[in-house]
Amino acid sequence: MSGSDDRVADHAAIDRLTDELLPALIAKLGATNLGELEVRQGGWRVRLRRPAGDPGPVRDRKSGDRKAGERASSDRSERGPDRSSERTPRTLHRPLEARTARTESRTVATSPAVGIYRPRTDLSAGARVRAGDRLGAVDILGVAQEVVAPVDGILGSSLVESGDAVEYGQEILVIEFSPTTAPTNGTGG
Amino acid sequence: MFRKVLIANRGEIALRILRACRALGVEAVLAYSEGDRESLPVGLADEAICIGPPDAKRSYLSAPAVISAALVTGCDAIHPGYGFLSEDEGFAEVVAAHDLTFIGPPAGVLERFASKAGTRQLLGGFGLPTIPGSEGMLRDDLHALDEAERIGYPVLVKPSAGGGGKGMRMVRTPRELESVLRVCRSEAKAAFGDDSLYLEKWLDENRHVEVQVAVDRYGHGVHLGERDCSVQRRHQKILEEAPTPALSDAARADLAERALKAVVAAGYENVGTLEFLVDRDGNFYFIEINCRIQVEHPVTEVLTGVDLVTTQMRIAAGEPLGLTQADVAFRGHAIEFRINAEDPDHEFRPSTGLVERYHAPGGPGVRVDSHLFTGYEVPPYYDSLLGKVIVWGPDRATAIARGRVALEELVVDGVITNVAIHQALLASEAFLDGKMTTNLLDRVGSAAFLAAAARA
Repeated sequence: MSGSDDRVADHAAIDRLTDELLPALIAKLGATNLGELEVRQGGWRVRLRRPAGDPGPVRDRKSGDRKAGERASSDRSERGPDRSSERTPRTLHRPLEARTARTESRTVATSPAVGIYRPRTDLSAGARVRAGDRLGAVDILGVAQEVVAPVDGILGSSLVESGDAVEYGQEILVIEFSPTTAPTNGTGG
Repeated sequence: MFRKVLIANRGEIALRILRACRALGVEAVLAYSEGDRESLPVGLADEAICIGPPDAKRSYLSAPAVISAALVTGCDAIHPGYGFLSEDEGFAEVVAAHDLTFIGPPAGVLERFASKAGTRQLLGGFGLPTIPGSEGMLRDDLHALDEAERIGYPVLVKPSAGGGGKGMRMVRTPRELESVLRVCRSEAKAAFGDDSLYLEKWLDENRHVEVQVAVDRYGHGVHLGERDCSVQRRHQKILEEAPTPALSDAARADLAERALKAVVAAGYENVGTLEFLVDRDGNFYFIEINCRIQVEHPVTEVLTGVDLVTTQMRIAAGEPLGLTQADVAFRGHAIEFRINAEDPDHEFRPSTGLVERYHAPGGPGVRVDSHLFTGYEVPPYYDSLLGKVIVWGPDRATAIARGRVALEELVVDGVITNVAIHQALLASEAFLDGKMTTNLLDRVGSAAFLAAAARA
């Protein structure tokens, strides 16, 4: 195929994605507690992420959307939507609803420390992993602590990007339970 | 002033520091363990970041976790609160090495005052009478016995790394000393991550009087008066008041001035407290310095109107104190009641559980510093302090009367608290006459106090 044919095909694919797929994905993300959705179609991969600071349907106060060393602007208006309404006494007495990517068919590998996430560059989604396999590391003051697979399964999408700041226990990587592995109670890591 | 501060603590002091940050217009990030995920300060902070599991050694006591959290959230300073890493000079050094400001004395000052024996010598050299104690840390049991002989029984076994009564035991004989050393080490290790111990002479019927100071980076300091912390159970303070009923006005002024002079001459910086024992003749002896904000700081705040936590922050940010001694005014009388999750009817064993209903007292002269709320599950991993009720009155009698009313109004349903012992103290002659000594409760037994109150 010539270069221009490629471009025409690409544009057609993008048009289809934009008109049909994206609105549906945006609606789905908005209606769930997920921070990110990723969909593959043919050679295309579409990933939607909630913007940093956006609390979504529940309050999210993790700092996971921040890159290493980035200092927050001192201008409070730049920090995202006004969340002062979330600090009413009423909301204080409601436990933070767990926002998790865990489902019946998948679990997550979580961060062993507060620090900067670095994935393994030689592993990608679809790879088979075993419980205890190293999937990446979190750098805490120069010391790498391993992110490990909690169960056997198939590596799924990443919930954070390389260089992101993560907190202790933060969900990092999805692990799909493989068909030959009986699902655990879903709590994994 | 800092733009963003990491609060590396929990419970009521985390809330207190958060309020100070708000007063200064500083953003606050709460570093919390999984055990405190549902806590009030986490819910109120601008940002919160989980730094580890409930085990304090892997969260609140973990220097890498705390510093990493400050760096990834873009903070420029860390407030360590009290306990945990608040007096750890190694931690303060690493904080500074990462270009962050430790809110407290600089690492060099913490180091200068790190050794209890060394500090006694240092401040003794600047004119303070000091309590006899062991030279350096106890190397082993044999060393402990030798030092105790030299000092003279009774002696108090104390941990080098921290306060709060943990790891402390008073002993009268070599046999008693041998039997407590192991438990003191393990308590100290659990509380501070360091099991080093030292000995101090114990004076029977002593009162504990401490002087609050604030010294800026430029060597300007003031004292903010003293606090009487003689109401203790097993060397843990449960009630504090100011001014002290134990000394005359002249003696109080003399004590505070001498304490301030010595500590400024010795190069102290930031907010701190010098602890003294006062014997029955009114002689005072310096025992140790606390280089941090203390639990009982509100007593001084309500007496003087000075915000000690914002003062810590301003000094750490390099601001001049902005206060002369003449600016510090003392008005009235203040009493603080520590509300602990403890059962007075069963040896004060720690209680946990769900706070089904919480209501804080209020009104003139009533301040409550607490992280409690209705629906809060008290975690089992940390100390039992639920909050503090502080009352103020134009005189001691009014403060006591307000204390009675406030404690009666306080509601903490679902968790057993030590309120009954405070009510008993407020009905006891020893307290009302201002004659409490530090081991009176232990000698007489809390049960006796409670029973006497019940009969009244």
